Amino acid sequence: MRDSSPFIAGPAYVLRDVTFRYGTPFRNTSEPVLKNLTCSIDSGKILGILGPNGSGKSTLLKLLSRVLPQGSGTIELFGNPFSLLSQADVARRVALVPQETMQIFPFTIAEMVLMGRFPHHRGWGGWHWEDSEDWRIAHQAMEELDVTHLGSRLVTDVSGGERQRAVIARALTQEPQVLLLDEPTAFLDLHHQLDIARILRRLNRERGLTVILVSHDLNLASQYCDRLMLLHHGEIVEIGSPREVLRPDLLESVYGCQVLVDGHPQSGLPRVSLPV
Amino acid sequence: MAKVPPMTISSSTTESSEWVHSPPPVPLSGSSLPMLTIHRWCLWVGISFLLAVVALWACLGFGTESIAFSRVWSILLGVLMGNGPVTIETDPVSVILLQVRLPRLILAFFVGGSLAMVGVALQALLRNPLADPFIIGISSGAALGAAIAILFGVGISVWSVSALPVCAFAGALLSLLILYRISSAGTGFSIYTLLLAGVVLNAIFSAFIMFLTSVADPNRAFGMYAWLMGSLTGPNFSTLGILSLYLGLGLIVLGTQAQSLNLLTLGEETARSLGVEVERVKQSVFVASALLTGAVVSFSGMIGFVGLIVPHAVRLVLCADHRLLLPVAGFVGGIFLMLADTVARTVLSPGEFPVGVVTALVGGPVFLFLLTNRNRRVGM
Repeated sequence: MRDSSPFIAGPAYVLRDVTFRYGTPFRNTSEPVLKNLTCSIDSGKILGILGPNGSGKSTLLKLLSRVLPQGSGTIELFGNPFSLLSQADVARRVALVPQETMQIFPFTIAEMVLMGRFPHHRGWGGWHWEDSEDWRIAHQAMEELDVTHLGSRLVTDVSGGERQRAVIARALTQEPQVLLLDEPTAFLDLHHQLDIARILRRLNRERGLTVILVSHDLNLASQYCDRLMLLHHGEIVEIGSPREVLRPDLLESVYGCQVLVDGHPQSGLPRVSLPV
Repeated sequence: MAKVPPMTISSSTTESSEWVHSPPPVPLSGSSLPMLTIHRWCLWVGISFLLAVVALWACLGFGTESIAFSRVWSILLGVLMGNGPVTIETDPVSVILLQVRLPRLILAFFVGGSLAMVGVALQALLRNPLADPFIIGISSGAALGAAIAILFGVGISVWSVSALPVCAFAGALLSLLILYRISSAGTGFSIYTLLLAGVVLNAIFSAFIMFLTSVADPNRAFGMYAWLMGSLTGPNFSTLGILSLYLGLGLIVLGTQAQSLNLLTLGEETARSLGVEVERVKQSVFVASALLTGAVVSFSGMIGFVGLIVPHAVRLVLCADHRLLLPVAGFVGGIFLMLADTVARTVLSPGEFPVGVVTALVGGPVFLFLLTNRNRRVGM
């Protein structure tokens, strides 16, 4: 892991006219999930992607991690068009933390975290033996997320919060510059939600990691994100600071219900509540 | 990560306490955790190899004509020392051992090992702990391909030696592609959908095979029934050589994907986000699995459950890492089938029954146990 915040000039991502629809090349009649998305995503910031169900949040995250094939339009990662990068090239810069990690085979937490070193090795389908450098990086990530003591436990045997932290440790083991998270707090209780949010902010502040997260939790996003992107029907409604995006009129038009917005008692940042 | 050097602790205790409190931890290493290192890999692969040699030696002694272990040893040593060829008149025991039992046991080892490794690969690729080439219908696809080849006559000619496995390979690949389409289509897909699809595929392919045998010439049909039940009779060293070519090719391709298979168990999207070229890996594993299944089925018929029991057992005892799981499962599968074949040869001696009977009698109950006991350790 980088010891100091890397200075990265320019935005992390530039999207131009990105349109994406699910379906095979032969059966392509469905409505696009993302329509003509054009934006740039700053590096070194925490960006929250918000929007109602089906607005294309997770799809956008999958496009940014190149888990899905790129639709039409161009996506540039630190100035490099995706079309010129291999899957491993992307994985060395971008790590994805999926919403839920299912594992049916008895891998240990340490084994899973070490899988983050895969994109850094070349050769026969990644056939390599982890060296001391790989171990050092994985260990540092596990320390950071406080999962070292779980190293020899099975992925299937730990709690949801522990597994989520281990998955973030795996993502850090990729030594990425960008961390993408899909609903990182969805299945966690309050204590673990706060834990994850603080860890993300620390990683962002200490080493300039660009964090992009999809969330349903408007309040958590408001407190921890530098910028928010509000999506609706596959289009960007607003992109800006929490104060600019979490406006009652905007939220009501997007979510289709009345909301109340006041200030958080500690930070003064917008707090969204539902009416009684 | 440290931005503040340790000397400034006194000036700002609150700032620095956060990261000073953790002393430099003892670095983790492969040896401090039960992790796969090259030493462990060599150790376990070596142990499996030795076990296979011991099993081969033990199985050689059993049969209609019981041969003492010391005699087995001296005959094998004699071959290794380069003694001249033996004839049935001068040394019948050597002939039985070297020209009947040895090729048969080697075939059993190849077949069992390949089936176990295909089981490992398919379980990872389909993310289904109950995947086995026999249960989900890949073997019957291969059998249909081989049956078509046999009934159209290529089964008897010399040329057939290469045509039969190719037809079986095509059949196996076809059923794999059908299964993959089923397993990737639709949401809410569960491991049981694949099993049901396998049952139906088995039924369809069996129906075709039945149809073919009933229109076929009775002599050929009879040979095919024996072969369909799974039999390891009558190989010689030249057929073993051809089989090992197919298997070698399939195993090399499968082996190179071991680390990618580890990542694929996390799901295709996660694997892709970790830098795996998922499509390429899937294609290689599919082709290699079809090649191995096709070759094995065309030489020994349908032998079930090896690819199910062996991977589970190895995962339970060792680890889930495919770099170790694949080779060790290969050895253990080979050992398992050598033992099963020895049982099939000796229980009703001098008669024998198909080895598929033994594997089904052992594997069926294990399968039912796995199905009803959703044990996390074996990944259910």
